Amino acid sequence: MKSNETLRNILNSVLPVLLALLIGAILILAIGENPLEAYGIMFGKSLFTLRGLTNTLHAAGPLLLTGAAIAITFRAGLFNMGVEGQLLIGGFMAGLVGAYLHIGNPLLHKLVAFAVGASVGVLFALIPALLRAYFRVDEMVVTLTLNYVMMTILEYLSSGPFRDQGAGYVTTPTIDSSAMFTRFGSTRLTPFFLIALLLFGILWFLNTKTEFGYKIEAIGKNPEFSEATGLRVRKSIIMLILVSGAIAGFAGAGHMMSQEYKYTLSFSGVTGLGWDGMLVSLLGSHSPLGIIISSIFYSALKTGADNINMYTSIPKEIVAVIEGIIILFLSIRFLNERFGLLEKLSKKKGEKNEPAL
Amino acid sequence: MGTILQTKDLTKKFGDFTANDKINLTVEEGEIKAIVGENGAGKSTLMNMLYRQLEPTSGEIYLRGQPIEFNSPRDAIQHGIGMVHQHFMLVPSFKVYENILLGTELAHDKLRFLVDHKKEQQECAELIKRYGFDLDVNEVVENLSVGQQQKIEILKMLYRNVDILILDEPTSVLTPQEVDELLLQLKELKAQGKTIILITHKLREVMQVSDSVTVIKKGQIIGNVKTSETNEAELAQMMVGRKVLLTVQNDHIGQESPEVIYTVNDLTTNNTYGNIVVDHVSFEIKKGEIYGIAGVEGNGQSELVKLLSGMMEATGGTVHYKGEEITNLWADELRKLGIAIIPEDRYAQGLCKEMSLSANSIAGSTTSDAFKKNGIFDFKRIRQHCQELIDHYQIRIAEFDGNVSQLSGGNAQKLIIAREMNRQPDLLIASQPTRGVDIGAIEFIHQQILDFRNSGGAVLLISSELSEVMSLSDRIGVMYKGKILGEVDPLETSETEIGLLMAGTIPQEAVVYEK
Repeated sequence: MKSNETLRNILNSVLPVLLALLIGAILILAIGENPLEAYGIMFGKSLFTLRGLTNTLHAAGPLLLTGAAIAITFRAGLFNMGVEGQLLIGGFMAGLVGAYLHIGNPLLHKLVAFAVGASVGVLFALIPALLRAYFRVDEMVVTLTLNYVMMTILEYLSSGPFRDQGAGYVTTPTIDSSAMFTRFGSTRLTPFFLIALLLFGILWFLNTKTEFGYKIEAIGKNPEFSEATGLRVRKSIIMLILVSGAIAGFAGAGHMMSQEYKYTLSFSGVTGLGWDGMLVSLLGSHSPLGIIISSIFYSALKTGADNINMYTSIPKEIVAVIEGIIILFLSIRFLNERFGLLEKLSKKKGEKNEPAL
Repeated sequence: MGTILQTKDLTKKFGDFTANDKINLTVEEGEIKAIVGENGAGKSTLMNMLYRQLEPTSGEIYLRGQPIEFNSPRDAIQHGIGMVHQHFMLVPSFKVYENILLGTELAHDKLRFLVDHKKEQQECAELIKRYGFDLDVNEVVENLSVGQQQKIEILKMLYRNVDILILDEPTSVLTPQEVDELLLQLKELKAQGKTIILITHKLREVMQVSDSVTVIKKGQIIGNVKTSETNEAELAQMMVGRKVLLTVQNDHIGQESPEVIYTVNDLTTNNTYGNIVVDHVSFEIKKGEIYGIAGVEGNGQSELVKLLSGMMEATGGTVHYKGEEITNLWADELRKLGIAIIPEDRYAQGLCKEMSLSANSIAGSTTSDAFKKNGIFDFKRIRQHCQELIDHYQIRIAEFDGNVSQLSGGNAQKLIIAREMNRQPDLLIASQPTRGVDIGAIEFIHQQILDFRNSGGAVLLISSELSEVMSLSDRIGVMYKGKILGEVDPLETSETEIGLLMAGTIPQEAVVYEK
């Protein structure tokens, strides 16, 4: 039974990817190029060269964390879609700490920036958490819309009060070098990846070995049972959304100190690290190992895009197409998880309304 | 007059479960037919088949002597059968007339693609007047009370000219005044020639309004009686059943200890609609005693259990256990104090179907250190604990690492009992402990409860199975409308006496327990 479920989960994740790659291959064929060669270059360069692999791992760091931030709420039947906004405010505030507080000590500076980033993530997540726990406002809608509120606020702050006047574009000042992670040798990889991996490991441990994980599983699978056995469902819901916000804010701070060094309007990339995290979590079936694999796969796809551009005549947008198709398949899966889509569609007439006893 | 609706051997199965077993129902034209039975007896299933929302597994339905061939609610309405569901299907932002005519809008004479609101309002106003309802056609539905919304549902059916009106638990959402108004309305409809089928488990209403009663229990018809020839007590007995299922020996020992261990005093609470559902309930339980609570389902027993097991908050009153106040404590705190809880619904509250056996075996104890090493779960210990429960309580499982969903009803219940009794409790709160389990498991569970009592434990037993309460309990409190109406000794009382109490009448000889 259990192994069947695992197999189904793996199929659920691998199938969309294979189908997306297949459709991508047809498009590449239509352009008149060899798809095998293109995919070979794409994954070969991003996974099987030292430079490519370190780039991929570097990019996977924040994804690991945003994926985890989403997974812990999804497992509890909650939907924190505000990871993007929480990451942005975390990154922004860490950027301010990095640029305005001249602490000097590299370790202390980074610690303060991480603490501030995680804290503002928590504060921002407090809004949907309280609304959900006390007024039963759907956290999905609130978190989703608050992302845009936060983007707009940060756009104002970074182009107004905190703008680096010397720069020719909208950006906050560059953080002090004491707040920057040093790279390993000539690669782009920094200790932040290891920190992300460690934090991820701690979360995994909490999830499988402690009461924290038991609560998440029980609340996600049967809230009434949880209440009846004395788990404080409301308190746990608040706590979970806040933990999720903290991880997102932490990820933002790490991204600031290991990659961006200043807050620009494209701080979190084109699709956004928070949204990517959702994809990563869905692709990894919200399981720890799944998230590690899918975050690496997904960042390989992204770093691979540049290589396709460089080494073939296929436009790099083909990667965006593949991403888009994966997202499309996964969103069907998400709708199914959230609203029982397939169940509703396949329900036969005689069985509607269930045993209405 | 004559028979308008008849079913022949109507059967409905959901998988292995038979919800309706060869139902032969006869409804006379122009009568108010009450169908009574406890929750889960199969009333709604039967009605949903008549209304063609469910397909029967076998059997036939005859309308005015003709076998019916329609197979959707829409067809049913066209053939004159309408149903008002427990949960309304109205558009809150629409006005009354728009809701009544939803789906059959009247087109404008000239501009066929427009809705003629004026004509709609007029027709609805006439309809309301004809049937003597009190309702403004232009009011927006979301501003209306539940009782008024129900009227719209009835009017929807009347507009479509149904002859047979089925009402599923129509009074469960109404206030007492609204109930009286609805009952009057039903009599009025009957006077105008409509046939009404009323599904309910509230006997007062049945006596007040119906012409004949059909009692359903466990998917079968237990009896058909004329309302004028029966009374509430008899109906209550029929609903709860007289079959003695008990095969274990209860020697009623353990009465010696006079020490009161559990005291409930004036416990009161409201439901989400603000109605009082548990009304100043008081009782006490001694060591070595089984205190039973009997009553027709829906008289506050479920809420009482929820209050006592930390799932609902009391608005007034206290609960004391071993001299300590424990009112409104959380479920895990109650368990830590030595109270075992067997909840009413085993899959909603007792177990989590999608979690493993071992995870379920520690539910309620996750905050204690018994299963942890330095704050981290000791899975070896947990699995060992689960295996012990399975061995000791002879729970039949297919796969140790599988989920609870693999267990049969009886074995799932055994797992709950094993988990709760293994904590060495001093008090057991058992709600519907044998509902839906096989005979073997019933015997096992009854023996567990008696053994526990005989070794000095105190038990609160809540069951809608009268025979179970009668044969296990040392004392019985009968609940009616949220109150404990009377207390009886099962060795001295008769079923008639309990039946009267369950129907809300206080017989002379019963101990009156009101404050």
